[in-house]
Amino acid sequence: MNDKITVGIADMKIAQGSGILITYALGSCIGLCFHDPRLKLGALLHIMLPLNMETGRKNPMKYADTGIRETLRQLEAKGASKSRMTVKIAGGAKMFEVNGGNLGNIGQRNIESVHLILRKEGIRLMAEDVGGTVARTLLFDVVSGQGCIRSYGRQDVLF
Amino acid sequence: MEIKNFDELSSLEIDTLREIGSIGTGNAATALSQMIGKEVRITLPEVRIMGYNEAIEWIGGPEQVTAGVLVGMSGQMSGVMLSVQKLGFINLVLEQMLGHPIEDYHQLDELGKSTLVEVGNIMISTFINALSGLSNISVNLTVPAFAVDMQGAILSVPMAAYGGMSDYLMTIGGNFVCEEEQVPCRLLLSPDLGSLNFLLKKLGVAE
Repeated sequence: MNDKITVGIADMKIAQGSGILITYALGSCIGLCFHDPRLKLGALLHIMLPLNMETGRKNPMKYADTGIRETLRQLEAKGASKSRMTVKIAGGAKMFEVNGGNLGNIGQRNIESVHLILRKEGIRLMAEDVGGTVARTLLFDVVSGQGCIRSYGRQDVLF
Repeated sequence: MEIKNFDELSSLEIDTLREIGSIGTGNAATALSQMIGKEVRITLPEVRIMGYNEAIEWIGGPEQVTAGVLVGMSGQMSGVMLSVQKLGFINLVLEQMLGHPIEDYHQLDELGKSTLVEVGNIMISTFINALSGLSNISVNLTVPAFAVDMQGAILSVPMAAYGGMSDYLMTIGGNFVCEEEQVPCRLLLSPDLGSLNFLLKKLGVAE
């Protein structure tokens, strides 16, 4: 459990053979754990927004659409196959109850966008712990594919 | 010239924003002082333009739990204003106003929460009033929202709100000092880019 690799916001890391990937304090952001069990290959992606409409596109990992596609591309370059691959997701919470504007529902839009893109890409969604009002820290073991979610004021969730 | 990203701000513009922060925080300190009946000073306010992960390290790491009061701004200027309240600040307020401090965030009851929301709201509104009066910009504020959770997730709210426009988070804000001790409370103003351009133009410093 000592070789933890931290994934920042709008970031993605890949590990193979051994390693725990961790991303901290997912609020409305979503963490996606990609896993190819045969290759013991995994990736953890931390996206912040549903759709990339930025010109220039300097940071694909910030968005669900470009982030998922870029992660899949890099995993496939390492030999992963979409038919074997599974994904688990966590996050998409609503941190503050704000009326009006698009502040409050970014989490919900992230969840919908991630679902849509995974379906389009044909990746199986194995498990999810999304929505609610609680922040989540997500740990992911790339060998077993086991995920764990730590939250404040809530029991750890294994998935 | 309008800026397209926060890192394009000139030093004159940053100085102006720091002055806004100073006046806003100063007014908020006076409001806080009246509410708790103690003298409150401010430290030198800062204008910070940070990458996302840098911002989280700056506030003290992602997983530490904190309370936050958030108010959305709309009207001629839009953005988010956040009051990050750590345990030391919460106890300063609760002890003075309700007479019973807490040891952990779990012990916050409804009365305690609503006190913190109100104190946060008054400090934020005072800050915005000062800004609005100074620049002659009218700003509407939403009803305040409250959360106790990991500070990384609380700080990600303004990031996500403007993430589509910028890879940086800009915060204007300061710290408070009460009875020679730093009070762990930050007021953070994060305007969106369009509003920032408008504000700088109104203040006559946009280049």
